[in-house]
Amino acid sequence: MHDLKLPFVRRSERLYSSSNTLKYIFILPAALWIVAFTIFPVFATIQYSFANYVLGRGITAYVGLENYLNVLRSGAFWYSMFITSAYVSIAVPVELVLGFLLAWFVILCPREHNFFRPILTAPLFTMEVAIGYLGITLFTSQGGLFAEVLDYFGIHILWMTTAYGGLAAAIILDVWRWTPFVFLIAIAGLTGIPDEMYEAALLETSNYRHLLLYIALPLSWPVLSVALLLRLIEALKTFGIPLALTGGGPGISTQLFSILNYYTTIQFFDFGKGSAMALIYLVFVSVVVALFFNRLRKGFE
Amino acid sequence: MRRALWLAASWRVRATTYIVLIVASIWVLTPFVWAIQNSIKSLTDTFNPAAIVPFVNYTPTLSSWIKVLSDNQAIPALLSSLIVSSGTTLLVILLGTPAAYSLAGFEFPIRSRDLNLWFYSQRVMPPVVVLAPFFILLVQLKLVDTWIGLILIYTTFNLTFGIVIMRDVFREISRDINDAAKVDGANAWQIFWLIAIPLSLDGLIVTGIIVFSFCWNEALFASAVAPQHAATLATFVLASRSTQGVNFNIAAVNTLIAIMPPVLMSLFVHRYLARGLTFGAVKG
Repeated sequence: MHDLKLPFVRRSERLYSSSNTLKYIFILPAALWIVAFTIFPVFATIQYSFANYVLGRGITAYVGLENYLNVLRSGAFWYSMFITSAYVSIAVPVELVLGFLLAWFVILCPREHNFFRPILTAPLFTMEVAIGYLGITLFTSQGGLFAEVLDYFGIHILWMTTAYGGLAAAIILDVWRWTPFVFLIAIAGLTGIPDEMYEAALLETSNYRHLLLYIALPLSWPVLSVALLLRLIEALKTFGIPLALTGGGPGISTQLFSILNYYTTIQFFDFGKGSAMALIYLVFVSVVVALFFNRLRKGFE
Repeated sequence: MRRALWLAASWRVRATTYIVLIVASIWVLTPFVWAIQNSIKSLTDTFNPAAIVPFVNYTPTLSSWIKVLSDNQAIPALLSSLIVSSGTTLLVILLGTPAAYSLAGFEFPIRSRDLNLWFYSQRVMPPVVVLAPFFILLVQLKLVDTWIGLILIYTTFNLTFGIVIMRDVFREISRDINDAAKVDGANAWQIFWLIAIPLSLDGLIVTGIIVFSFCWNEALFASAVAPQHAATLATFVLASRSTQGVNFNIAAVNTLIAIMPPVLMSLFVHRYLARGLTFGAVKG
């Protein structure tokens, strides 16, 4: 982190000019693996989505668009789309803001108090299903830490037994788990801003809010936008935390898309419907991500 | 870390900085402390809000740890996680390093931007989309509920990531070193093995740690294709969630066993971490 250049300065020149067979030998095993295992599943999913697939017997019949129509007529599917969108559009902005602010304060803080940084990145690699599981003991009304503390202040929320409570609890855990991701990237962005920028600005103002809003934020925005996009992509796949925390319940109230699709495919072995559902969702995700990518593409070039 | 900024800051800015950072640290550390605390309590003590300080308010006990570790599922799950995650990491490094080196060093008909775009599109696809095909593939290969089956899937998901980030690591190597080696008569293989690898070792280790953590934490495929014999810790955690439910002490021990290895590993890496997690888009 010390020898930092401005972000996104890419070198185009190649290290080694000589071309020989070695480069193909080197790349061949990985290329074969990727071609073998990443191309076929997508085509297989497309095929299953038009078929009736019975485990053990394979494809028994092609049913045209029936699977798709079943999905589009299913209330659980639309509800899962809605609840996933709600989850993502609350969790991701909160994580972005918190991560950036924490990075700003860590950057301000003198180097000898650097210990905040490892502490604040600690949740980064924690297993999501384990965090969801631990979350039960934080949010249950029977002695859960979080619930008890809020109770003490007179705030009574039924976290585990209501739809909104369950969603809120999952989002809180998501924020705990993923803010460090934004934080870490924001630090890289803020470190890339040259000292002279701040020194020049300090001649004009002593208001740190201005430094934050007019220097730190715009100059680290390209980097932050990378964090935003990656968080968005990952959040749309959210699975572990709500699955372990609420199991999708009560009822189907916290059944995010991945959980619904997982149950459809693995518990009910309805591969046709599961595949159709997955492909519709893939289109939705691609459109959302493409819209964001077009707005944020500066960060990637 | 910014000397100038800190020196010019008023006491109010400084106070705010510390207050925010301390509050955030408490927020981050609380679940860890809560888990450790509950893991050394007896079941009755976990329901006693006054049991806060060990030895003073309650007698700490290792009984939950012993109970979980003597359970005939915890150790095999831990072993599965270790084998599957290390196996995948090894395979990704083995297949990915030469490919990454080749992409970093030589001309190819594919532009690196196109490669990045393809890579990001891979990332966008929710893994659940390919759940059915992989499940059926493993059934056909008779690899359901095996370590090899999981390693196969995880390698597929992590190989592109590994290549993209390692390619970036190899690009850091200065051209001069490479030219000097060539003048001294080293061939391409020697340059790769004796110069590029040692010089990029820390970047490769970070890549390895990230891949390891991804595999370790993966739950969707783990519980779908390896529900019993090859069950990893993620599956074990989900299973004990439904059988042990609200036993706070058992939940705490299970959580700690499941989250500790990657968290401890990540404490040792700072360099390349931001870059690794953004797949090379952010230098840092």
